[in-house]
Amino acid sequence: MARDTTALSRRDVLKASGAAGAAGLTGLAGCAGVGGGGDSEYPALGNYPVEGDEVVFGFNVPQSGSYSQEGADELRGYNLAVEHLNNGGGWVDNWDGLSGDGVLGKTVTAVEGDTATDPDTARQSASRMISRDNAIMITGGSSSGVAIAVQELCQEEKVQFQCCITHSNDTTGGSCVRYSFREMFNAYMTGQALAPVLAEEYGEDLNFYQLYADYSWGQTQQASMEQFFTEVGNWSQIESVPTPLGTSDYSSYLSDVPRDETDVLVLNHYGLDAANSLPQAIEAGLDQDMEIVVPLYNRLMAEAASDSIGGIFGTADWNWQLEDDASQSFVEFYREEHDRAPSYGARIAYTQTLQYAAAVERAETFYAPEVIRELEGHEYSGAGLGNETMRGCDHQAQRDVLVCQGVDPSEQTEDLLLNIVSQTSRDDLGYACDAGPAAECELGDYGDE
Amino acid sequence: MSGDRSGDANEAVPDGGTVTEDAAGGSGGSALAGLRDRDDFVVIATAAALVVFPFLLIDILGAVGDVIGISIGGYTGLPSLVLIYGIIVIGFNLLLGYTGLLSFGHAAFFGSAAYSAALFSQVVPSPILMVIAGTIVATLLAWPIGFVSIRRSGVYFAVLTLTFGQALYFWALGPGSWLTGGDNGFSGIEAHGLFVGALPLDAQLVPVFDSYTVMYGFTSVVMLAALWVGNRIINSPYGLIFEALGENEERVEFVGLNVFRYKLMAFIISAVFAGVGGAMFVIHEQYIHPTTGLYWIQSGDFVIMTVLGGTGSLIGPVFGALVFEYVANVISGVSLPMIGSIGSLWRFVLGAVFVFIVWVFPRGIYGAFADLAAMVNGRGGGDGDEPAAADGGERE
Repeated sequence: MARDTTALSRRDVLKASGAAGAAGLTGLAGCAGVGGGGDSEYPALGNYPVEGDEVVFGFNVPQSGSYSQEGADELRGYNLAVEHLNNGGGWVDNWDGLSGDGVLGKTVTAVEGDTATDPDTARQSASRMISRDNAIMITGGSSSGVAIAVQELCQEEKVQFQCCITHSNDTTGGSCVRYSFREMFNAYMTGQALAPVLAEEYGEDLNFYQLYADYSWGQTQQASMEQFFTEVGNWSQIESVPTPLGTSDYSSYLSDVPRDETDVLVLNHYGLDAANSLPQAIEAGLDQDMEIVVPLYNRLMAEAASDSIGGIFGTADWNWQLEDDASQSFVEFYREEHDRAPSYGARIAYTQTLQYAAAVERAETFYAPEVIRELEGHEYSGAGLGNETMRGCDHQAQRDVLVCQGVDPSEQTEDLLLNIVSQTSRDDLGYACDAGPAAECELGDYGDE
Repeated sequence: MSGDRSGDANEAVPDGGTVTEDAAGGSGGSALAGLRDRDDFVVIATAAALVVFPFLLIDILGAVGDVIGISIGGYTGLPSLVLIYGIIVIGFNLLLGYTGLLSFGHAAFFGSAAYSAALFSQVVPSPILMVIAGTIVATLLAWPIGFVSIRRSGVYFAVLTLTFGQALYFWALGPGSWLTGGDNGFSGIEAHGLFVGALPLDAQLVPVFDSYTVMYGFTSVVMLAALWVGNRIINSPYGLIFEALGENEERVEFVGLNVFRYKLMAFIISAVFAGVGGAMFVIHEQYIHPTTGLYWIQSGDFVIMTVLGGTGSLIGPVFGALVFEYVANVISGVSLPMIGSIGSLWRFVLGAVFVFIVWVFPRGIYGAFADLAAMVNGRGGGDGDEPAAADGGERE
């Protein structure tokens, strides 16, 4: 349901009178003036214009369900971003436009919501942030299903959405929208980065067998694996088998894997699913007969399956061991606050929030179409992965991708679970605007046409 | 909406009105109970409540929240959502509270109606026709599912309905994803507005009050229709048989009535309500996902709402829907000064509310109101007020 766009609503009047009443009661010389940084050269749209001297960001993360640990780390990243935006520090000092006194002079406040890793719950929570709390930007999610559901809502409501963890090709492919941007890489780029490393490591002309989680992400993931393993290493696929999302016992699927023929087993599972399937594959002794690959690593999975990940290849968004200045400073101030190294979820959360704030500063307005135009085609570095481009045609960041290998259980520490094998340059990755997932993308309208 | 009416025409005996008064007089015996059962009173009182409901939920609670510094106000869209679930649980209660059948698969009707309405909107983007289309599909689906499930009772019935629901869920997520959009959900729903798009659903009904959207008006009208139909049914001789079935099936059979046929019809009627709700839901949300539409937890939520609100009365479950959705969508976003964000604890909060209500007021929130009203009237207890209610509450 789109919000009304009248300048002064009943609720605003009530709020204002409530504030005035409170100010009067406490005897303060309260001046409920029309906010600072008032730029009103654009018509009202979504939650623009921002009234008062605060601006609200909505952090919509899984606080319950199987991705709740990731949600908690995302939230830590978000809160750091808010603190730095308001008070300076962290990357804010090095990014152009950001000043450390809020965004366009307005203090950033945050509202939180629980997506429960469920698309509808996530949409309800985002609706509340948009209609009641007047959030100017929503970010979060740790599932492609959730990200796609919420970004569609944000497109309808003309409120910016900044994707957090979402790896499906569809997010910036067939389901892309104008109001959403993605910093994370996708399954297609995982295939591009992983296949050459595996071809070199394991050789050419091998047979591979896939299991994949049967939903949006798993489907695009296995398709990308098939495409690049076949193209790059000249491997051939024996079969690709869907497993229901949230399966806890994979033994029947694993026992179907033909041991004599299979050289590489690809487990396209994420989070808790991967934490179940990988140890079960190793328990069944499959690693004796073949190599196992987990295309997308995350910390939750690496921690839960820590005994099984030794030597296993996969990709990751980012890793705290990267030695560039931005990464190191992020690790440092995160560690200061939370006493351990950040996961990649925290980096995406932090980066996506700053990206939005910086775009607002460049556009000198919260008016969404102008902010979107600032982000489209924006070149940036200083987010820990070298030079990146937020591409205009599909809102997908073109950036480096890390290939990682699990650390042997005997050498693991709380933070050290993965070693970086290679950082594939963005020049060797990606796809043109008329190829790959981007070919299916139609972004939709800005809202000011 | 029209689906309701046709269902009603089939079910309610034409001269049920006069019988109603007698029946109510016989079982209730008090003036208040008699008033409560009258169609016009029920509809007018509810209409009055519906007029102030968004104002209370959004503006008043929002203003209170601003004063105490905790955001407890509702938001645009929440009142409609509460009413949509209210419509569903009114029908669900006809099955659970009156006939005494605990279905754990009503998400099947909710979800199938939602998907049907969504698909239908691709052809004809009319909200009213979407509701009719969705309701028809839910009704047609309820017949075979009911036909098989009704043959067993108690836990077997519950599990059978659950199984049918889950089968649909897995179908929508996997093999049927070409039609349903699978895990990406179904969006791109084209509900242009009422009266051939003349009234956009998100437009304001009243200029200054932004809580009152056309969607809310539309939902309110459907809600009133659902309530009227529900009231007609339970106050008709047909509804009396439902109630009798809930109390003692064997006796009904001894009287010579076809128990199977009545139970099946109760099942189908409740599915009609779930279908109307499902189609309304998709018009409201413009989005549907298998987890929302068809997963068994959705069925469980209907049960919780119904029991929380009170199974013994027609309007009771709507209070359950209100509390449920309020806790799920507003309380879950509250951040308390000392404790911090409630977030994922909302199910815990809901559980605590549920335990408290069911423990202290076995007849649910409505039962608590009824008891209070009785105490104010100086009659105490209130158990004799609505015998069917008390029985219904204790049955499950």
